[in-house]
Amino acid sequence: MVTTFPVLTVMTALPLAGAAVILLLGDRLARWIALATTLIVCAVSVPLYLDFDKSSGALQFVESVPWIRSWNVVYGMGVDGISLPFVFLSTVISVLCVGASWTAVQVRVREFYAALLFAETAMIGLFAATNLFLFYVFWELMLVPVFLLIGVWGGPDRIYASIKFLLFTLGGSVLMLVGLIALLVATGTLDFQALAKTRLAPDLQAWLFVAFSAAFAVKVPMFPVHTWLPDAHTEAPTAGSVILAGILLKMGGYGLLRIALPILPDAVQLFHRPMLLLSAIAIVYGAYVTLAQTDVKRLIAYSSISHMGFVTLGIFTLNRSGVEGAILQMINHGIVTGALFLCVGMIYERTHTRDIAEYGGLSKLAPVYSTFLAVFCLAAAGFPGLNSFVGEFLIISGAFKTWLWLGAATIWGVALGTTYMLWLYYRMVMGDARPRFQQLRLDLNAREVATLVPLAVLALVIGLYPESVLGFLRTSVGQLLMSASGSGVIAGRP
Amino acid sequence: MRDLVLLLPELVLAGTALVLILTARHLTRPRSVAACVVVAAMAAIFSGWAFSPEASRIGFGGTIASDGYARFFDVLFAATLALAALLSVRYLETERVPPAEYYALLLLASTGMMLAASAADLLILYLGLELMILCAYVLVGIAVNRPISNEAALKYFLLGSFASALLLYGIALVYGVTGATDFAAISSAIAERNLAGHPLMLAGVALMAGGLAFKIAAVPFHAWAPDVYQGASAPVAAFLAAGSKAASLAALVRVCLSAFGPEQRIWSEILVGLAVLSMVVGSLLAIPQSNMKRLLAYSSIAHVGYALLGLIPGTPEGASATITYAFIYSFMTLGAFGVVIGLGERGEDLVAYRGLAATAPGTAALMFLFLLSLTGIPPTAGFAAKFAVILSAVRAGHVSLAVVAVLCSVVSAFFYLRVAVLMYMTDPQGAAPGRLPAAVSAALAVAAAVIIIGGLFPDTFAAWTVPPSSRTMHTETGKALIGGH
Repeated sequence: MVTTFPVLTVMTALPLAGAAVILLLGDRLARWIALATTLIVCAVSVPLYLDFDKSSGALQFVESVPWIRSWNVVYGMGVDGISLPFVFLSTVISVLCVGASWTAVQVRVREFYAALLFAETAMIGLFAATNLFLFYVFWELMLVPVFLLIGVWGGPDRIYASIKFLLFTLGGSVLMLVGLIALLVATGTLDFQALAKTRLAPDLQAWLFVAFSAAFAVKVPMFPVHTWLPDAHTEAPTAGSVILAGILLKMGGYGLLRIALPILPDAVQLFHRPMLLLSAIAIVYGAYVTLAQTDVKRLIAYSSISHMGFVTLGIFTLNRSGVEGAILQMINHGIVTGALFLCVGMIYERTHTRDIAEYGGLSKLAPVYSTFLAVFCLAAAGFPGLNSFVGEFLIISGAFKTWLWLGAATIWGVALGTTYMLWLYYRMVMGDARPRFQQLRLDLNAREVATLVPLAVLALVIGLYPESVLGFLRTSVGQLLMSASGSGVIAGRP
Repeated sequence: MRDLVLLLPELVLAGTALVLILTARHLTRPRSVAACVVVAAMAAIFSGWAFSPEASRIGFGGTIASDGYARFFDVLFAATLALAALLSVRYLETERVPPAEYYALLLLASTGMMLAASAADLLILYLGLELMILCAYVLVGIAVNRPISNEAALKYFLLGSFASALLLYGIALVYGVTGATDFAAISSAIAERNLAGHPLMLAGVALMAGGLAFKIAAVPFHAWAPDVYQGASAPVAAFLAAGSKAASLAALVRVCLSAFGPEQRIWSEILVGLAVLSMVVGSLLAIPQSNMKRLLAYSSIAHVGYALLGLIPGTPEGASATITYAFIYSFMTLGAFGVVIGLGERGEDLVAYRGLAATAPGTAALMFLFLLSLTGIPPTAGFAAKFAVILSAVRAGHVSLAVVAVLCSVVSAFFYLRVAVLMYMTDPQGAAPGRLPAAVSAALAVAAAVIIIGGLFPDTFAAWTVPPSSRTMHTETGKALIGGH
């Protein structure tokens, strides 16, 4: 599928250009330019999905230009079946973030949308990068706009949250930098495909795995390094939370799939059991902590830890259903948790409280809102017919194939997940309407409905026809597992 | 006579300085003198590139090297001189410092830096560094009515002369053992007469390392830097942080590679200690600072640690990574100091940065860029520079050094981005800062351009950052010695 039009570069560069225009033109047009830019990026991306050859596991839409000769680095862009869904998610989430911030952001409007578009550039670039250097550049680049989004437009504790976010993620990613440099010294290349073909010494692999998974684990976040997430998600403005939940967390999982599995297969065999254990802890512990939350946004933030535990668990089962489920679940989590953060943001704009105890009876005051919330809560709880069910099902079956008790932990996590989501819904929507909300216009306006509808449709479509995403993945995942088990050890069977 | 061409950039600067001193009575407007200095700096760059022989050459009886390395530093020092000249204009206007003397000192200091970078002989190296630092003492204390400046100048002078004495003592010991002050001769004498482990030789190397470590402000020879930077006016501090540090690094790199090549094991161990201590101490001590100049002083201490990483392996690639680092660091720190200067009186205090993004978005954005580059976030030049030095450290097997370096850069992110937090995430306090003076804007634009271009296309400077080659350094004596070997 050779194309002369550098579609990925255009998609990456367009938001940057949009950001520049916004900074030049000022506050008045900022929203519209941001909306136009993100929509154009979506439009430009259409040929990606239409012309993508699902039967090939190779990189497609490849662009390659020599960049830094002294380090043998090229500017390389391309997508395969694993990265394509993430590119799609990034473009969609960006549009919705613009929609969600339309009235919520009233100060420094121009800088806000510029930061948002800057983040879109980093997201698309990261998922389209075909070498580790470019990947790292976009990885670090992403920190800057998110740091500003949390710190400038966030809640009362925004400064603490933004610095904590930055130091945690930077601490992880500088270790990746050392790993990257060690890889460059050992192999002389940073190209993902070339690296996947190289067999490194097992010792080196183990060290590199530690370095890289430090970066990825912080981003995902995995169990002991998750503490930045509740603060960052809670304090961030709605669009920031959506980007964090929708894309930023996925960068960690994507990194594991793109770097750890294919390039460090021996180390993955060595470390996959501890990683499975940490994932299982994240699922169960995250779910219990979620149950204890009284703040809506914090509750959803903690539920992310549990949900991302499913993702890392799926990845480290190292079998087909687990890995496919993990990728699908990352997309699902981006859609559903993004939507939940949007819902929280929308109601918060009206009530100015995030305390669950102050809510109740929204079904009478805001029927449309309650319907959307129902859809997304059910989706998050893994209700059949909606998207997360498929992902969780695949991961759980992968887990059972690996270890019985692992499957048991996931089932437990699902049960707890259903509990906290439905309990949240019960506390907010059911019961008597709160008198202090009576005179507020709580229900959604057309713009907000338009923001939520695409996500609801996606949740339904993926739930009813998961092949729409899995179809893209299949060949690439097969290839990934081939290279991950290249060491001769049968993947997933300890 | 033919050799004079080799010194053309130095001669241009020194000549301009003499003219300025002679006509000082008639030059009262800082603006026009600054323009003069910028033109002289351009002329120095031009003469360095246009008239120097293509091939590396040694002149003046084996004391002055004219190679790509020297020419690269000529350009760097001329550029820092020009930027510092631009940044000084407003300071001179408000403080009523006589402009001609001030600029003459800047020019002479830059001449000394160029000499130090092109020295092929320990004595020329010493003379160059002394010329630089003598001018620096005066520049630091040039605001005679400010007690803090006087104190800083005195402190700088006392400690600095002690360090110069160390350096000179080291040179004397090396001369005593090898019988030469010429780099090539020293190097071949060590190799030939197997002097690598000679106790006096070791003492000489250690003393020289101490003297030079003082000049680059590496821990534990760093204590002067925060006081001097704080006491000196911001433009002088910028000039010291960029130029004098780069010059001393240039001297250090050349001495290590050209003269003490056979001693690599010894000095690289010394440098490992200096680098680790500088990175750790510099980063940690920057955290509690509330004065921007002190913060940048500690940051400069940390950065010298990163720069040394490249030199430790003693390879040509590593050396060029180190000098690239010196180059890029000069522009980053000049940029950051430029913002401090642009904010005027209040720029020193961290409080002045509160809400800067709201009151002066352009200035804040530039500062943010410089801070990101100092932190080493891609795609700024600071990242590319850091990448290169860490790469050469890892290549030489110093992985633990690389880990220390990156962890220190996380610590440094904390204090750099604290300034960003103040600028972007807090409300303004006090009056909004005035517009940036045109001269400062011009300097900031140059620095920002270097940082962006160097970050997006790290290869841009690769052709110029040539390491000093010991092979081309051989003078007649050197050749004779090699031949005899």
